[in-house]
Amino acid sequence: MQDDYGSIWSYRAKWAYLLALVGVLLAPVFYVIYISFNEYGFAARIYEFTLEWYVVVLGDKILVASLEWTGYLALASVLSSVPMGLLAAKFYKRTRHKVAFVTLMLLPLFVPADIMASSLLVYFKNLNRVFEGLSDALGSELFYGWFDLGFLTAWIGQVLYTVPYAFVVILITMSRYRDQQTEAARGCGASAWQAFWQVEFPQIWVGVASSCAFVAILSFNEAPRTALLKGGFDTFANVLVAQMLNIGMSEESYAMAGIMSILSIAIIGSILIYSMARSERLERERRVKAQPLMSQ
Amino acid sequence: MAMKKSDTAAEDITGDLAVETFGVSKSYGQVRAVDEISVKVESGQYFVLLGPSGGGKTTLLRLIGGFVRPDAGRVLLHGQDVSNLPPNKRSTSMVFQSYALFPHMSVEKNVSYGLKLLKLPAPEIAEKVASILELVGLKGYNGRMPHELSGGQQQRVQLARSLVLESDILLLDEPLASLDANLRKDMCHELKRIQEQVGITFIHVTHNQEEALTIADRIAIIADGKMIEEGVPKEIYERPRKKFTADFIGQNNLIDGKIIGIDGNHVTIDLGFATVTVPRSEQSPDKGAEVTVSVPAEMIEITKEAPQDNEVSQFLQVVYEKETYLGFGSQHQILLPDGNGFVAMTKSSGEPFRLTHGDIAYVVWPTAAARLHTS
Repeated sequence: MQDDYGSIWSYRAKWAYLLALVGVLLAPVFYVIYISFNEYGFAARIYEFTLEWYVVVLGDKILVASLEWTGYLALASVLSSVPMGLLAAKFYKRTRHKVAFVTLMLLPLFVPADIMASSLLVYFKNLNRVFEGLSDALGSELFYGWFDLGFLTAWIGQVLYTVPYAFVVILITMSRYRDQQTEAARGCGASAWQAFWQVEFPQIWVGVASSCAFVAILSFNEAPRTALLKGGFDTFANVLVAQMLNIGMSEESYAMAGIMSILSIAIIGSILIYSMARSERLERERRVKAQPLMSQ
Repeated sequence: MAMKKSDTAAEDITGDLAVETFGVSKSYGQVRAVDEISVKVESGQYFVLLGPSGGGKTTLLRLIGGFVRPDAGRVLLHGQDVSNLPPNKRSTSMVFQSYALFPHMSVEKNVSYGLKLLKLPAPEIAEKVASILELVGLKGYNGRMPHELSGGQQQRVQLARSLVLESDILLLDEPLASLDANLRKDMCHELKRIQEQVGITFIHVTHNQEEALTIADRIAIIADGKMIEEGVPKEIYERPRKKFTADFIGQNNLIDGKIIGIDGNHVTIDLGFATVTVPRSEQSPDKGAEVTVSVPAEMIEITKEAPQDNEVSQFLQVVYEKETYLGFGSQHQILLPDGNGFVAMTKSSGEPFRLTHGDIAYVVWPTAAARLHTS
């Protein structure tokens, strides 16, 4: 919003700066998408639109399998990280030690991805030994191989990475929710769960849905942790990185990058457009129908 | 459990008790929000918890409602100990200061929320909702969303949502604080009318003394986490027992002094610059005790001529400072000989006031109007 006494040019300059910044940040992404639709690939003199590379990628069994694995990982991460982020956000609203709590929640984000991945790798190896020792002590093989590298270890790594993001996204929506509504529901006879599900959740579901989308996108984008923790399967990002390292950027690589970018932008863009449209609609309704607040 | 005897226990309560608290306490960290408060509320009474902000009255209300658990003491509703029960297991419902309507539900859905939780048949719910909306003056508003309502209407919906549950105790936490002055007055009378109509116990928290005096059957003064005193509005206003109450309610002038004589029902006090006589009331002071005298501003008359010395009235020589016009009357700032301020209120008489800044004058009040405070 422009201030009445501010210069219109200063206002326009701020917008120009913002758009330029976003443009610079997103230019490489859009360039990759642009190349991915070229029949002749990168650095060709001729540009001819084609979907051929996407067809090739989606016809490649290894790539489709990696997409499936990534999908499972994303689903498992969404189903675990989002409820954990939600619980953390609820706890944050109750605790008096908010700064300490946020610091602890966000701490995993300050550890570089490779360090976190190798630390987890060592941790799971040792945990396996502990569990094997426990099994031996019990004379059973029950706990053997629980933490062998595989889907579970990749999933745990992904959860560690995505919970802080899920927490922050949900907290933004939840900050507008007034706890007195929960108390009012409890006063009407609702149990704690009923108050959450019937009163609080309908008001924060946009944040929860955004958090789900965000965690899913992060699962598709993340490479270092899954590379070290995945065991015998490949995720889409792992295959893409491996291809780039081994044979450089091929037309298929551009198409793979294009798939990931288009999906991410589409999901985030949809949420953004929906939120803006909803907010606009509510504001319009409020203006039309609301009476002065302090009159009878 | 050892009970601390309240200074202000309501000995004159005779009916059934809806709410009793016995020495309830609640601390938040180092802050003692409620400090061993014992209170008794009769069934069907409009009971007001009055006090300054941050005094602990809302915490006491939340302890009664089950929104916070007491650190010590017990809460009884109709004789049953509910100290460890959550709000949905208590026979109370609550109206909050900031409306707390569910914004994604229409008026009808807000009001019927608790009834649906009780799994009542739909026709019964519809009938009860229609009836309660009529009671609070919102007939025809069923389909409106909360953001389409004014502040007063939102508060009525909240009231309806609580009343429809037919709980026999309604807790109101500063329900009128967000409303403008005129609407607050109207809603005060409206609340009283509804309470008399439904006949249940209302416990109402406010920091607004006018609101409390208008609406209450009984008032409890709460400050610094403690119960200061309790009584009917007239008694609290006209005969405050505690110095704090005299300072908080109405516009009383407080003057410190020392008792130099006790004669039957009267006590003579040396103020340092003059002596005055005040009724002993129910206090049992000792000679030489440090006390405070309160004199209501509206009981004071200002004269230019020295009054006759007599038993039925008291007077002090003062310096007149200034008059502030208030419409229905005027407030006069006066300086006592010890340099402390003194305030008198006079009604508009239509005649010009004769005193001006710096004039020597006399303030006179009926002996029976002043109160003695030992604490």
